Amino acid sequence: MYIGVDVGGTYTDAVLLEQNQIRASAKVPSRKNLLSSIIEALDTVLQGVDTSRLNRIVFSTTMITNLIAERKYAPVALLLIPGPGLSHTYYQFNTMTRILTGTIDYRGRETVSLKEQEIEAAMAEVAAQGFKKVGVIGKFSPRNTSHERRLELLIKENHPDWEVELGHLVGGQLNFPRRVVTTYLTAATREAFHHFLNLVRQALAQRQITAEVLILKADGGTLPMENSEKMPVETIFSGPAASTLGALALTSPGETAVVADIGGTTTDLALILSGQPLLSAKGARIEGQLTQVHTLAVKSVPVGGDSLLERVGNEIIVHGKRMGPAYCMGGPVPTPTDALRVLGLTTLGDQARASEAMAILGEQGGSCIVANRIVSLVVESISSQINQMFQEWEQEPAYRVWEIMQKKKVRPSTVVGVGGGANGLVGRIAEELGCRSLIPPYAAIANAIGAAVAKTTLQLSLRADTEQGSYVLQEEGFEGKIESNQFNEKIALDIVKERLIQMAARYGLDVKPEQLEVTRLEVFNMVRDWHTNGRLIDITVQTPRGITGRIEAGGQ
Amino acid sequence: MRGIRCKQTGLIFFPAFDWAISPTHPEREERLLYTRDQIFEEGIIDLPQIAEFTPSLASIHDIARVHFCIPRVETQTTEAHLIAAGAAMMLADQIVAGHIDNGFALVRPPGHHAMRVVHGNRGFCNINNEAVMVEHLRSRHGVKRVAIIDTDVHHGDGTQDIFWHDPDVLFISFHQDGRTLFPGTGFTYELGGPGAYARTINIPLSPGTTDESLLYITDNLILPILEEFQPDFIVNSAGQDNHYTDPLGSMRISAQGYARLTEKLRPDLAVLEGGYAIETALPYVNMAIILALAGLDYSYVREPDYWPDRFKETSQRTEQVKRLVDELLKHWKNRYATQAGRVKIVNGYYEREKIIFYDTDYIEEHQVEKLRICNNCTGYLSIESEANQGYGQARKVLCLSVPFGACSKCRNEAADLYTGAKKSVKYNQIYLQDKSSDFLLGYDTKAGKEWRR
Ligand SMILES: [Zn+2]
Ligand SMILES: [Zn+2]
Repeated sequence: MYIGVDVGGTYTDAVLLEQNQIRASAKVPSRKNLLSSIIEALDTVLQGVDTSRLNRIVFSTTMITNLIAERKYAPVALLLIPGPGLSHTYYQFNTMTRILTGTIDYRGRETVSLKEQEIEAAMAEVAAQGFKKVGVIGKFSPRNTSHERRLELLIKENHPDWEVELGHLVGGQLNFPRRVVTTYLTAATREAFHHFLNLVRQALAQRQITAEVLILKADGGTLPMENSEKMPVETIFSGPAASTLGALALTSPGETAVVADIGGTTTDLALILSGQPLLSAKGARIEGQLTQVHTLAVKSVPVGGDSLLERVGNEIIVHGKRMGPAYCMGGPVPTPTDALRVLGLTTLGDQARASEAMAILGEQGGSCIVANRIVSLVVESISSQINQMFQEWEQEPAYRVWEIMQKKKVRPSTVVGVGGGANGLVGRIAEELGCRSLIPPYAAIANAIGAAVAKTTLQLSLRADTEQGSYVLQEEGFEGKIESNQFNEKIALDIVKERLIQMAARYGLDVKPEQLEVTRLEVFNMVRDWHTNGRLIDITVQTPRGITGRIEAGGQ
Repeated sequence: MRGIRCKQTGLIFFPAFDWAISPTHPEREERLLYTRDQIFEEGIIDLPQIAEFTPSLASIHDIARVHFCIPRVETQTTEAHLIAAGAAMMLADQIVAGHIDNGFALVRPPGHHAMRVVHGNRGFCNINNEAVMVEHLRSRHGVKRVAIIDTDVHHGDGTQDIFWHDPDVLFISFHQDGRTLFPGTGFTYELGGPGAYARTINIPLSPGTTDESLLYITDNLILPILEEFQPDFIVNSAGQDNHYTDPLGSMRISAQGYARLTEKLRPDLAVLEGGYAIETALPYVNMAIILALAGLDYSYVREPDYWPDRFKETSQRTEQVKRLVDELLKHWKNRYATQAGRVKIVNGYYEREKIIFYDTDYIEEHQVEKLRICNNCTGYLSIESEANQGYGQARKVLCLSVPFGACSKCRNEAADLYTGAKKSVKYNQIYLQDKSSDFLLGYDTKAGKEWRR
C-alpha cells in the first residue's frame, strides 16, 4: 500500500492506494499548526488500516516556495569567481556579494589562480556582517571543481560554524548565473526544509508508521527523505509535478495531453507528450528567479475560479488576485465561478447570488450574456497560453541537423482538468483547442495521487577530456584520472552506468544496467593541426522515469 | 531599421554539431563547441536583451534565386546549408517585421566565398548565406538598399561576385592582402561593374594589422560611406579569422576590437563567416559580438593571453592605412562620374572573363560574363561557364540572370536567349533566373528536361 500526501498552501491532501486502486482520500485545510494538518490527513486515509502493511509514503509540498516569496530565511552571502566574460555589474543577487579573482575556462583549465589574501579579506567582511551561510560559485566550476573546493576548505578552517554550499554540487549544467541562484536558494532553504522534514518525522512517529518515506522532486521523481536533505531546492517546487503525475496516473497511456490544474487564483499548465511529462530544458523559474532546478515544463497563468473580476468602461477585466471566495459562495466580489454557476457549468454556491454578481458587472443583456463573456475571456486566456507552450516546445533550440529535420508540430488530443476550478472550464478550453476534455474521477486530489505513484529517479553525468587525461562525475563532484590511452565512449559509458547503479543502491533502488536511459551523449574529436589530439565525451544517464502504475476505476 | 533601442537582439545559434566537410577539416563538428560552452555558461541567452530562435530551412527556390547550382541545387547543398541560410533569412524576417532590434546568425557552414555560379565548394563555402537572405528581403519584403560589410580576414569574393553589377547593394570588404592569403583577390581597383561603380569597396590590409587601424578605417571610411549610401538594411559578414590567434589569417585583432567594430557598424544582422581559432578566439569573439549587438557592457570579455596595448600599430602602417582610406574615398566620391573610358562597351554589352578556382573541390572554372547596358534597368546578365574537375569531362552551362526591376526588353531578351539555347548542344544545362518576377527555370539538354524552381 502507498500513501501520497501533498502539503499545499491551502489544503493538505492525502490518498491511500492499494494495487492501483484508491482505498481512501482526505482533504484537510493546511493550518498554521502544519503537524496537526498532516496527522489529520494521515488519520483520515488510514482509518481501519494496519500501518504495518504500508510500503511507502511520499510527500510533496509547496510550503517552502512560499518562504522564498516572502524572503523568510536566514541571509546568505555569495562569494563568486566569475572571471572575464559578462560584466560583473550584471551580477546583482540582492544580497552581499563579493567577486574573487580566479578563472577556469570552458575546458576546465585554470587560467587565473585564486588569491588567498583576497579570500581572507572577503571572509572577514562576511563575518563582520554576521552571515553564517555562504554560497561559493565559480564560472565553469562543473568542469573543474578545485577553486570552489579550495574556498570551502579555507572557510571551514576559519569559520567551522558556517554553512557552505558549492555551486558545482547543486548546479552542474553550464549556466553560471542560474548556478548562483540555485546555490543561493539551496543555502537559504535548507533550514526550513529540514524543519518541514522534522514535522513529517514527528507525524510518522506519532502514528507508528515505519514505511519507506520519500519526497517528491520538481521533475516528478522522488528521493528518500534522508537524501532529499542534501538538495532542498530540487524538492520545494514539486506541486505542479504532483498534479501532473496524478493526471498521468488517471489517464490512458501514450496520450499527448495538457494538464490544467485550475485553482483559486492560478492555473498551472503542464504538457504530457506521448505519455511522458515534458521537462523544462534549462530549469525552474522560482519566484521570478532563473535556476538550474530540474523541473517539469510548467506554466502558471494568473487566472482561476476565484479571480477578481472588475468592469472598466465596456470591458470586463480578470485580475490576478483573490479577494475571497466566489460571490455565490458568500464572497465579496464577482468571480469566474459565479459566471460558471449562472451558466449551470458548476453546482457550487447559490444561483441567485451568482446572478447578482453578474448584475454588478453589466447592466445590459442579462446575466447569461455577461456570464458567457466572462467564461470566454478566461477560456481564451488559458487556451492561448496552452498554444504558446506547444509553440515554445517546438521552438526549443536545436543544435544538430537531425534535430531540426525531425521537428514537428504537435498539438494535444486531450485537456485533462484537475484542481478545484476544473469542472466548468475544462470542457470549454478543450472546445477552444479542438480537443477532448477529461476530468478524471479523483481530479480534486490528483496531486496526492501523483505523489503516491512517483518513482525514485537519479541521474549522473560524466564529462571526460582525454587530452587532459581526466573526467568528472558531476552529481558526485568526483574527479578521476584517465590512465589508459584507450579511453573511449564505451568505457566512459560503463563507468557512469556502474557509478549510477552504486548510487542507486545507496538510495535503496535496485536498477539493472539495461534499465538505465542515456539522455545525453556527445562525443567530439579534438583536432589540432589536422591530427586528433583527444576526445571530449559528455554523457548523462538516468534511472527509469515514470509512475509506478495507473489508477484503475473502482475502490473507495 | 534604425531607431531608439527598445527591442531584443535575436540570436540563432546553429553549430551543426553533426556536420563537417571532413573529419579533420577546419570546418568540422568541433568548431563552435567551445563557443557554445562559453555562451551557455555566461547565461546570456537568459538575459532580457537576448531572444533565441530556432532556424527553419531555406527552400530550393530561395537558393536558386541567388545561385546557379550546377547541375541542381540539390547536388550542391546539404540540409546544413539550407539551415544556415534559413537562419539568416529567419532573423532578417524578424528584424524587418520589427519584432527584434538586430540579430546574429551564429551558424555554420559559412558562405561568403560562394559565387553566383556554383560548381562545388570554394573556401569552405557552397551557398552564400548573406546573399540568399538579402535577395529574400528584396524579393519578399521590398527592401531596396542593402549594405554588406565583410569583416572576415579573407576577401568575400563570392558576395562581391553576386552583387558586382548591383548598384543597390553596397559591398565593403576588409581583409588580409590578397597577395598573402586565399582567395588572392580584393584589391582596391576591384570596384564593381559599369552600372555599380564603387558600390564594391575593397580594403586590403597588410598582415599584422591591429584594432587601432581597423577602427580608424571604420570611422573614416566605412561609416562615412554608409552615411551617404543610406542603406535600408546593414549586413555584417562576421568572420572572426582576423583574430590574433587565428591559424589561417595573420592579423592582430582582439575580441575587444571586434566588439567595438560591431558597436560602430550597428549592423541589422550579423552572420558568422570564418574563424578557426576555435578555442583561443571564437568563444571570446562571439561573446563580444553578441554583447555589443545587444548594447550590453562587453568590457570584461578578454582572451586569457590578452592585455590592453598588447598590440601597438607601427607609424608606418598608420600612414599606409591613411593613404588607403584617402584613395578609396576618392573612388567613392567619383561613383556617379561618367563611365566612359573606364570600361569597354561593345554593341551595348559589357563583357569580362574570369577564371575561378575551387580550392576545396579542386575545380577550375572559366567564365564569360556579359551584361546588357540598359538605360531602363541595371541590365540582364549572361554567364557562360565551363568547369573541369580533375580529369573528368568539362561541363558547359549558360546562366541568365534578370535583375530586380528589370525592363521588359531585358526580360524578353534573356528569355529568348534561354529558349534559343535549349536547342543548342553547346551547353549541358541552361538556367533562367528572373528576379523581377521571381521565376526560376532550368533545362537539361541531354535529358531534354525542364524544371521550375
Ligand atoms: Zn575567412
Ligand atoms: Zn533593361
